[in-house]
Amino acid sequence: MDNVKCIINMKDDTKMKKVFLWLTAILLLPINLFSQPTTNHQSLITIRDAWIRPAAANANSAFFFEVVNNGSAADTLLSANGDLSEIVEIHETYKRESDMMGMREVHNVPIPAKSTVKFKPGALHVMLIGLTKDVRPGEQYDLILQFKNAGTKKVKAVVRDMPRMK
Amino acid sequence: MKKLLLILNLGFLLYACKEKLPVIEDLERAKFKLVDQYNNEVTFPEFVKGKLVVMNYIFTNCPDICPLSTNNMRLIQERIKKDKINGVEFVSISFDPLQDSPQVLRKFAGIRNLDLSNWTFLTGEKPVIDSFMRKMGIVAVIGDSTVFKDGRKIYYYTHTDRIQLIDKEGKIRKNYKGSTIDVSEIVADVKSLQ
Repeated sequence: MDNVKCIINMKDDTKMKKVFLWLTAILLLPINLFSQPTTNHQSLITIRDAWIRPAAANANSAFFFEVVNNGSAADTLLSANGDLSEIVEIHETYKRESDMMGMREVHNVPIPAKSTVKFKPGALHVMLIGLTKDVRPGEQYDLILQFKNAGTKKVKAVVRDMPRMK
Repeated sequence: MKKLLLILNLGFLLYACKEKLPVIEDLERAKFKLVDQYNNEVTFPEFVKGKLVVMNYIFTNCPDICPLSTNNMRLIQERIKKDKINGVEFVSISFDPLQDSPQVLRKFAGIRNLDLSNWTFLTGEKPVIDSFMRKMGIVAVIGDSTVFKDGRKIYYYTHTDRIQLIDKEGKIRKNYKGSTIDVSEIVADVKSLQ
């Protein structure tokens, strides 16, 4: 009989534990929601010094900027979008032998934690292919960057002449 | 005696300059029938004979290296003007003549507000352009391409990134990396060939 009581007590104890666990989970749910990685990352990726090179309608231009990741986790730039050109692609310029320079598409760009990745002339850049209009110095355009964790970032870029290269 | 030393010194300086800027290619006998940004026919190097020429090589669909090189041409032009150096012509020639018509070149220059008072953009028939590039030591090969929704295709060249300095006799005297050229260096070279 004692054994039976003990089993019943054990069952009650297990039930209580289950109830306690569920209550804890329900209570912690809002905290968990607020600490989703996406939200956390969004506040840690910032874009600065965004600019576009002047170019004529139907021609190509490039969009440059710096991605600052102040977070402790890495992120990835997946794509760029905008209605300034027919196609938007991430590209990089690379050096070949004997002063030969080439360019190729890059499908994503890793943004390490606590780092700044520069999209700059002669290196990584976002290609604006087939401009829908003339892009003149002083004008401003909105472009969108899509990050794996930080999500969508809307960026305002100013059209300006190039700085001198060192 | 002082005069003799002065003459010897000048002679040495001239010799040193020649050594510093040896002839890379002689274009004196070359004759390329080309077209400028206004659709005028020009013969190179005849149309710039007697002038120092700063030249670069571009294709207007190039989003990165060619605009950098062209921007450096602008910086050199501004510096030459500031230093009051006369008799220098600037020439940009496209190695993509099928895309880069005179009108496209004019627009390329116009959108950048380039000073075309002593700067000419050139294009021409493809065989002439190909022959020109071989003579000037420029390599341009089609690499990546992009296809638009309507099927149009544009392509990008892997190409020599170069600005050249040509003397008054039509001889190539120095090659520089177009996108990263040191403006002070080429301006000093221009002065040495004046």
